[in-house]
Amino acid sequence: MKRKNIIAGLALIFISVGYAYLTTGLPIRTLPDTPNPAFFPWINTGIMLILSVSLLTQGLFYTEAGEQKVDKAATRLTVISLSFFVIYLLILPSLGFVVASIPFFAAMMLLFEERRPIVVAISSVAVIVLLFCIFRYGFGVFLPLGVTEGLVP
Amino acid sequence: MSPDVLEGFAQASLPMSLVSTAIGVLFGLIVGMIPGMTISTGIIVLLPLTFVLPADISIALLLGLYVGGMTGGSFSAVLLNIPGTPSASATAMDGFPMASKGQAGRALGIAITASFIGGLFSFLCLYLIAPLLAEVALEFRTPDMFSLLFFGMTIICSFAAKSLVKGLLSGAIGLVIVTIGQDPVMGTARFTFGDVNMMAGIHFLTAMIGLFAVPQLVENLIEMRNDKKVEPTQAKLGNVLPRLADLKRMRVPVAIGSFTGSFLGILPGAGGPIAAFISYDYSRKSSKTPEEFGKGAVEGVAAPESANNAVTGGALIPMMTLGIPGDPVTAILIGALTIHGLAPGPLLFMERSDFAYGIIFSFFWANIFNFIIALLGLRILVKVLSTPKALLMPAIAVLCVVGSYALRNSFFDVYVMLFFGFLGLAMKWLNVPVVPLLLALVLGRQMEEHLRVALTSSKGDASVFFTSPISLTFLCLSVASVAWSFYSERKKKPASG
Repeated sequence: MKRKNIIAGLALIFISVGYAYLTTGLPIRTLPDTPNPAFFPWINTGIMLILSVSLLTQGLFYTEAGEQKVDKAATRLTVISLSFFVIYLLILPSLGFVVASIPFFAAMMLLFEERRPIVVAISSVAVIVLLFCIFRYGFGVFLPLGVTEGLVP
Repeated sequence: MSPDVLEGFAQASLPMSLVSTAIGVLFGLIVGMIPGMTISTGIIVLLPLTFVLPADISIALLLGLYVGGMTGGSFSAVLLNIPGTPSASATAMDGFPMASKGQAGRALGIAITASFIGGLFSFLCLYLIAPLLAEVALEFRTPDMFSLLFFGMTIICSFAAKSLVKGLLSGAIGLVIVTIGQDPVMGTARFTFGDVNMMAGIHFLTAMIGLFAVPQLVENLIEMRNDKKVEPTQAKLGNVLPRLADLKRMRVPVAIGSFTGSFLGILPGAGGPIAAFISYDYSRKSSKTPEEFGKGAVEGVAAPESANNAVTGGALIPMMTLGIPGDPVTAILIGALTIHGLAPGPLLFMERSDFAYGIIFSFFWANIFNFIIALLGLRILVKVLSTPKALLMPAIAVLCVVGSYALRNSFFDVYVMLFFGFLGLAMKWLNVPVVPLLLALVLGRQMEEHLRVALTSSKGDASVFFTSPISLTFLCLSVASVAWSFYSERKKKPASG
C-alpha cells in the first residue's frame, strides 16, 4: 500500500500540474468582478495538489496495514480481458455490431471457462443476434452495421 | 387530495407503467440474487432501454429494479450465505443458519414480508416528507444552493472508508472531469482539445458504466479462476408464507428496521448496508433472546431486510427534492431523468408535480409487485442462481458497449466508457473509492454554476455564503461532516511511523 500511495501521489501531482498548465491556456473573457471560466479549474488544481501531496506524504512517511502481494495470475487475466475489450472496440466501427461482437462474446465465454465449443458458438451467435434485434427493431437504437451494411434491413 | 397527486397516481397506475414496474422488479430480484451482480450493474443493463422509453415508464422500470434488487440480495444471502448485494450482508447472519436447519422457505418468507413492510413505510415517508422538503428548498437562493451542493459533496467522506485523503481525491478527480466541455455560465470551451465531441462534456452515465461494470467483470473473472464458484443451492424451500407466530416476532425488528432505514436513507451516503447492520444491532439489543441472534433468529432476518428496503424510499427524498443522490443508484436515476429533460430538485415538484407524484406512486407499486412476485415466484426465481457466469458476464460486457453507444449514437461515448473502465480498475488497485468520483460528476457542474452565479451577483463578495442563514447552516454541516470523518479515521487507526 505504501508503494501504491507513492505511485498514486506522484501520478496525481503530475496530472495536477498538467491540469494547471492547461488552465493557464483557458480563454479569459469575463465581466468585471465576476469569476472567469478558469476560476473553478484553479480551485480544483489547488485541491488536487494539496491532496496529492498528502497522499505522497502518507506513502513516504506512514505505513498502512494490509500490504498485498501482486497476484500475477489476476494481473494476467485483467490484461487479457482488457485486451479483448480494446480489440473489440477498435474493430467494432468497421465490422459492425454483429460481426465484431460474436467473436468477442465467444472469447469472453472461453475466458470464463466455458470450454464446450458448440455451447460457445451457439450462445455467442444467439445472444448477439437477439440483442441486435431487440435494440434495432424493438427500441430503434441504430447499432453500427459495418460490413453487414446492405444485408440487414 | 390535490389533483396533481391523483394525476400522479393515475400516471403510475397506467397499464404500461405497471407492466414496466413489474418487469423492473422481476429483473431486480434476479440481479439482486446473483452474487457478483449489483443493482448498479442491473441498471447499466437496462439503461439503453430507458433512452428510448418515455420518462415515466423508464423511471417505473428503474424503481422496480431498485426495490426488487434490495430484496433479491437476501435470496442468495439465505440460500448460499453469499449476500447478493452488500445491503443483504446482515441478512445472511441469521438467514443462512435458518436455511441450514431446513427453514430456507421460512427465512425467505420473513425476508420478503419484512422488505415489503419496510418499503411501504419508506413510501409513506417519501409521500409525506418529499413535497414539504421541496417547498422549503424552493426558498433556497443561489448561495444556499451552492452550500447545499457543497454539503452534498462532503458525503464523499462517508464513502472514504479506509482513507479520507483517497476519498477526497476521488471526488477531486470527478470535479476535474466535470470541467471538460463548455463552462456552465459563459459557454467557453474548456479542455476540449478542439474535439467537437468533448464540447458536450463527459456524460456521467457513460462514466458510470465504465467505473462500475468493467472492474466488476474483471473481478468476477478473477474470482471464477480462483475457484470461488457459486454452487446452486440444494436446500428445500418448504413453506414460504410466514406463520402468525413469526409475524408477531417480526413486529419490533421490522419497526426498528423501517425507521432506521428510512432515516438513514434520507441521509446521503449512509446506504443500505449501514442501515441493515444498525437495525440488526438494535434488534439484538432490544430482544429478550439476544443469544439466538446468529443462530437463525427470525428477528435477525426481519430487521435488516426491512431496513435495506426502507432505505430505498428514504434515498429518493433528497434525490427528488434537492437533486442530491444518496447512493450510486439514485445518482443513476438522476441521470435517467436528465436524459428526458427533467431535473430532480424542488422545481420538479413545482413545474411537474404530477410527474413527481408519479415517481412516488411508481415506488409504491414497485413495493407491491415486489411482495407479490417475490412470494409467488420464489421457487422459480431461485433457479436463476444456477445461471452460468460464462453466459452472464460476456452479455454484460456487450451491454456496456450498447448502453454507452445508445446514449448519443456515438463511438466517442464508448471510448469514454472504456477510459473510465481503466480508471475504475486503477482506482480499485490503489484502493481509491469510485463513488466519490461519481458523486462529483453528478453534482460538480451545478456546484460550479451556483458558485459563479452567486459570486457574480454579489460582485465577487464571498461573504454572501456566510450571511445567508441557510447557506451558513449547510457550510457548518459540511465542516462538521469532514471533521467527523477525519476524527473517525484518526480514532480507527492511529498512524504508525
